[in-house]
Amino acid sequence: MTSQSNGQSPVVEVQGVSKQFPADHNARVHAVTDVSLHIDHGETLAVVGESGCGKSTLANLIIRLHDADQGRILLKGVDITDLKPREMRAHRQTLQIIFQDPFASLDPRVRVGASVAEPLRVHKVATKEEATDRVRHLFELVGLERSMLNNYPHQFSGGQRQRVCIARALALKPELVIADEAVSALDVSVQAQVMNLMLELQQEMGLSYLFISHDLAVVERIAHRVAVMYLGQIIELGSREQVFRDPRHSYTKRLLGAVPIADPRQRTERPLLTGEIPSPVWPAGEGPELVTYTEVEPGHQVADE
Amino acid sequence: MTLLSVTDLTVTFDGFTAVDSASFTIEPGETLGVVGESGSGKSVTALSIMRLVEMGTRAKITRGRVELKMQDGSTLDLLGQDEPTMRSIRGNQIAMIFQEPLTSLNPVYPVGEQIAEAVRIHEGSDKKTSMARAREMFDLVRIPEADKRIGQYPHEMSGGMRQRVMIAIGLCCGPRLLIADEPTTALDVTIQAQILGLIKQLQVETGTAMMLITHDMGVIAEVADRVVVMSQSKIVEQGPVDQIFHSPREAYTRGLLSAVPKLGSMAGHDGPRPFNLAGDLA
Repeated sequence: MTSQSNGQSPVVEVQGVSKQFPADHNARVHAVTDVSLHIDHGETLAVVGESGCGKSTLANLIIRLHDADQGRILLKGVDITDLKPREMRAHRQTLQIIFQDPFASLDPRVRVGASVAEPLRVHKVATKEEATDRVRHLFELVGLERSMLNNYPHQFSGGQRQRVCIARALALKPELVIADEAVSALDVSVQAQVMNLMLELQQEMGLSYLFISHDLAVVERIAHRVAVMYLGQIIELGSREQVFRDPRHSYTKRLLGAVPIADPRQRTERPLLTGEIPSPVWPAGEGPELVTYTEVEPGHQVADE
Repeated sequence: MTLLSVTDLTVTFDGFTAVDSASFTIEPGETLGVVGESGSGKSVTALSIMRLVEMGTRAKITRGRVELKMQDGSTLDLLGQDEPTMRSIRGNQIAMIFQEPLTSLNPVYPVGEQIAEAVRIHEGSDKKTSMARAREMFDLVRIPEADKRIGQYPHEMSGGMRQRVMIAIGLCCGPRLLIADEPTTALDVTIQAQILGLIKQLQVETGTAMMLITHDMGVIAEVADRVVVMSQSKIVEQGPVDQIFHSPREAYTRGLLSAVPKLGSMAGHDGPRPFNLAGDLA
């Protein structure tokens, strides 16, 4: 899964990254195992999977909230894997993240305008006047009224709060925005509006997204390419059409088959199953078997079963 | 013969109207889906039917009737009943399951014991009979390795298995109506599919009617016979599931449906595509 760049490095390239966490009784959680992927400019790569598959850990590794045990992370061709916090700071302008719960992501005692201006202040990229202008512009961009700048987070609805978080993520003109379940907590009408906003911003600013979600119907709507994760490893990766129209791995098929379709004319009989998702926790010295891939079509990688 | 008839139900919290003049019916054996966004009044409606809404809150049921058809053919208005009568209704006639099974289960008792407890309280049976019923219920909800699992504590089970236990508790006294409030919302999609399949199968086997509350239009499309759409404390539209999805009358419903991502709807499109929002959202 290396990049097939057109002369330009991908925005981000992840090469064989692994991360374990300690668990009880000397066991280890194998959260991410040997994951490789890349995201091109202006592209949305969605990472889908069920709870515990490692998708959020992957996001945290890319943004260096966790340090990888193995592997490299390249941001626009620059290896950021071992950068010290101070050295990393310059790169954070390229790379921003939005989380699931906008209420938890905003300081309840800080006016939202100041929260959105904070990255500009921290990175010292704007004077006070410039920052004020920029924040006003960002508010317009995400569809919020300027008059709301002086409000506190609790005075906003969930959708508005997520717009504030998007405005803050865009303050430094990043090239890649990681959206970790960023629309999952929103009501469906608000979710659609925020997704439309993300698509508009992508068009206007040429943004790349790493879109992490458990919701396949949402992913189908927003992604150019899709990576399916299962127990810490990518088991299928390809264009949206390849993964959704021609899924090859049994887990991808199972996942797609489980999604309820919002049309009563497309009801399916569900077999009575009782399977559970296996645990990513392994005793010390043991671990999951590394998957190998077959490229079934150009750009469509499937883990061998 | 209508099983439950809700007429003009109105519930207020300190002057705020959480449910405003709601009227709908549930027929024996059918699944009524109640859909709406957060705060639209779905859960308050359910809790009002159970007469749980006024417990420990400032809620007041200010108007309406909730009429339950009893086995002897008589009709009982639940809003006029005292607490002892309601206790005999809950579990035996109408049972309820919630979104998060972990908070509904007692962490310090084995799950089998908790099913047996419900049976003992409602039917006055002895320990042996009630444990035998718990074991039967484990088979009904298809919990594998039942003999081992019946002695487990809630924390030893996965979310899907816990929700199966909750369904078992809900059904253990043979209610005629099961109210399920977001029963699959906290579950992963493959586990949700299992629980939805189980619920449908159990309805066939037991003939229990169901009021299924969810924000997920996909789940509604999959299991509901009829649908009630709620918005801002009011029922904005109700009808057969096919009509709601394919010829909705209200602008609110059309807006809601236009915002729902539908798996497969992107076939033949190259890049991502924004939602073409309709109705109230246009």
